[in-house]
Amino acid sequence: MSRPPARRRLLWLLACLAAALGAPAARALDPPAGRIVLSVTGEVARRNAGEGADFDLAMLERLPQKSLTTATPWYPSPRRFTGVLLRDLLAAAGARGTTARAIALNDYQVDIPLADAERHDVLIAWLLDGQPMAVRDKGPLVVMYPFDSHPELRDAVHYGRAAWQLRRLDIR
Amino acid sequence: MTGGDATIGGRLRRVGLGMLGAALALALAGMAWLQWRQYDLLDGATRYRNDGLGASFFQLETEHLRLRHQVQQALQGPQETARERLQLRYDIFVSRLGLVDHARAADVMRSQPAYAPTLRRVREFIAGADRLLGPGARAPLTPDALRALAAELDALAGPLHDLSVGTTHVLYERATERDAAVRRQSQQGLVLMAFQCVLLLVLAAVVLRQFRAALQRRERLETLARRLGDARVEAESASRAKSVFLANMSHELRTPFHGLLGMMSLLQETPLTAQQSGFLRTARDSAHHLLAILNDILDISKLESGNLQIAPEPVDLPKLVREVEALMRVQAQSRGLLLDVAIAPGVPRWVLADPTRLKQILFNLLSNAVKFTPSGGVELGVREGAGAQAGQVLFAVLDTGIGMDAATMERVFHRFVQADGTTSRRHGGTGLGLEISRSLARLMGGDLTVASHVGEGSCFTLALPLPGIEPPVPAVATGAPADAGRALRVLVAEDHPVNRLYLEAVLGQLGHRTRFAENGEDAVRAAQEEHFDVVLMDLHMPVMDGFAAARAIRTMPAPRGEMPIVALTADVFQEAREQARQAGMDDVVTKPAQLGQLREVLARLGVT
Repeated sequence: MSRPPARRRLLWLLACLAAALGAPAARALDPPAGRIVLSVTGEVARRNAGEGADFDLAMLERLPQKSLTTATPWYPSPRRFTGVLLRDLLAAAGARGTTARAIALNDYQVDIPLADAERHDVLIAWLLDGQPMAVRDKGPLVVMYPFDSHPELRDAVHYGRAAWQLRRLDIR
Repeated sequence: MTGGDATIGGRLRRVGLGMLGAALALALAGMAWLQWRQYDLLDGATRYRNDGLGASFFQLETEHLRLRHQVQQALQGPQETARERLQLRYDIFVSRLGLVDHARAADVMRSQPAYAPTLRRVREFIAGADRLLGPGARAPLTPDALRALAAELDALAGPLHDLSVGTTHVLYERATERDAAVRRQSQQGLVLMAFQCVLLLVLAAVVLRQFRAALQRRERLETLARRLGDARVEAESASRAKSVFLANMSHELRTPFHGLLGMMSLLQETPLTAQQSGFLRTARDSAHHLLAILNDILDISKLESGNLQIAPEPVDLPKLVREVEALMRVQAQSRGLLLDVAIAPGVPRWVLADPTRLKQILFNLLSNAVKFTPSGGVELGVREGAGAQAGQVLFAVLDTGIGMDAATMERVFHRFVQADGTTSRRHGGTGLGLEISRSLARLMGGDLTVASHVGEGSCFTLALPLPGIEPPVPAVATGAPADAGRALRVLVAEDHPVNRLYLEAVLGQLGHRTRFAENGEDAVRAAQEEHFDVVLMDLHMPVMDGFAAARAIRTMPAPRGEMPIVALTADVFQEAREQARQAGMDDVVTKPAQLGQLREVLARLGVT
């Protein structure tokens, strides 16, 4: 805050230049209008906030929607999850890296290899059986793997990656 | 019995193998079931994250502590932001309850009496707190309400902690149980696997045994085949040895025969009483019979060794048939039988045939017919073959004799078989005639067949391909007067004294003078000393044989070296004749040399 105005102007100019140069690849996302439900931070090209790309529910709704029904350890019967594919979301944010660290509201964190998103239809779900999820129902976002159609995913490691109450993805 | 045992053994082995296979299949099924159980156990454990239950209880406790802390902070901080943060913390706490409050968790925690009451207390707390922090709750967060909330949370701290610790123990127990189950199943698996190993070893042993048995069987078969091959070679060489033996015997037998027949014909020329003549005739008949048998045996041995050769020449067929008829008529008449010979028109007159062998067959068939016909007649019909037999001449010998049944007809061409076993003695003969006749017929490209009915007679048919030819130009030299010849000076080389005596008598009868040599060397010396009109040379002699002597004479200057030499041999094989010609001899006379034969040869050589 106490920097001289000339230097601030220079920094601003440099920022503009960088933005112009990187324009085609790193066109900034629209800023979120509603409450932020997910932040993608780290190696993110299309930022709309200081630390990365922030998403509200409306922005997620604009991305292609996918559904998958699967049994999980957390519900007694198979449930239908609807949301966006992790790889679509990462593309929307211009994320480039090998790992996404998923961080939940309760500070639970787990590393998801981005290869998972390429190989499987990993979902960032925001609807459970067509209904939005409240925090007390493990919402608003959960990471969901297609456990039923891919038996090889049914192990502790992948169950661990299916984080719920997802709040942030940190790309590395 | 061994066959039955083998069948029973085979059935037992099959049953044994079947049981072995069934046991193996069962053992494999058991293994598969065990593997499935283990998979299910582990899959269930991960799928339902039972191990994660401890962490869930721990998180519930943690969230409880964080909520309590948040309530404390709300009591101290500004109201507006506090509500939002408290709300989030509360919701997270509530969401954690769902992880431990469900049927599966209740099942896992059934050994913990504190589980149900503690969770009931948490639910009661949430029901109360929802009035402040639940969805749509608008009750003001007064410090009193917050303090009450904190107190309630404090009361929950102990039970939640106890439950969290208790859960750890429950899960340890479950893990221990599961480990025990896995260990037990592993042990069962090991036992099953050991059983399988044993079964596999047994199976391998059985397979090995079968393999060995098959190998042994093959070896036995190979040995057998080798032995059979050896036996065949042995039999063939034995057969060859027999033929060689017979050929040798022919020589040995014919030499004394030479003497015997010669002496008897000389004896007949001397004055004899009627009784003596009768004795002599009987002796001659016997000797001729013996010679016939000997000739049969020789023919057989020649046929078997493949040494018999057919020498076709132009033959006047009707003349040949008439000659046969003339000879057979005497035999037939002596038995009171009619002999009827008919030659159909169309049968060619001049044909290419081996006259000796053709006569031999016809004689054999006719004398058989005469022999086996007690009364009635014998018929020889010669006609042209038709249809399948076109181009062949058929000689049918028909009799009204005893006939044969089908079985006998089958055997009649085999050696030593006559119309029936009992007749052989009555009818005499060697029993070789028909076999020789059929073999000769086949050698000449034809065949000999028979049709017969018991008691009605038989019909033997000789079918021969005898091509008709143009009548040959009569030889100019034929008809030279033999008897009117001059007296010749003859050198006879012969080692056998009886034969020497015989030849001297025969040649004396022909009016020739004879000088004798006892071996080849003597003969060569004699030839050097004086000139002879003809030399009769025995082929097998001591010191120097006839071949060598003939060659030695041929090296002498003319006219000695050009003396006609006639080989005398009991050897009936063609090779001997060929060898004699190669040694420079002009002709061959077969022992015993009959008077007529000698006269004929001398005439042929033109020395008389």
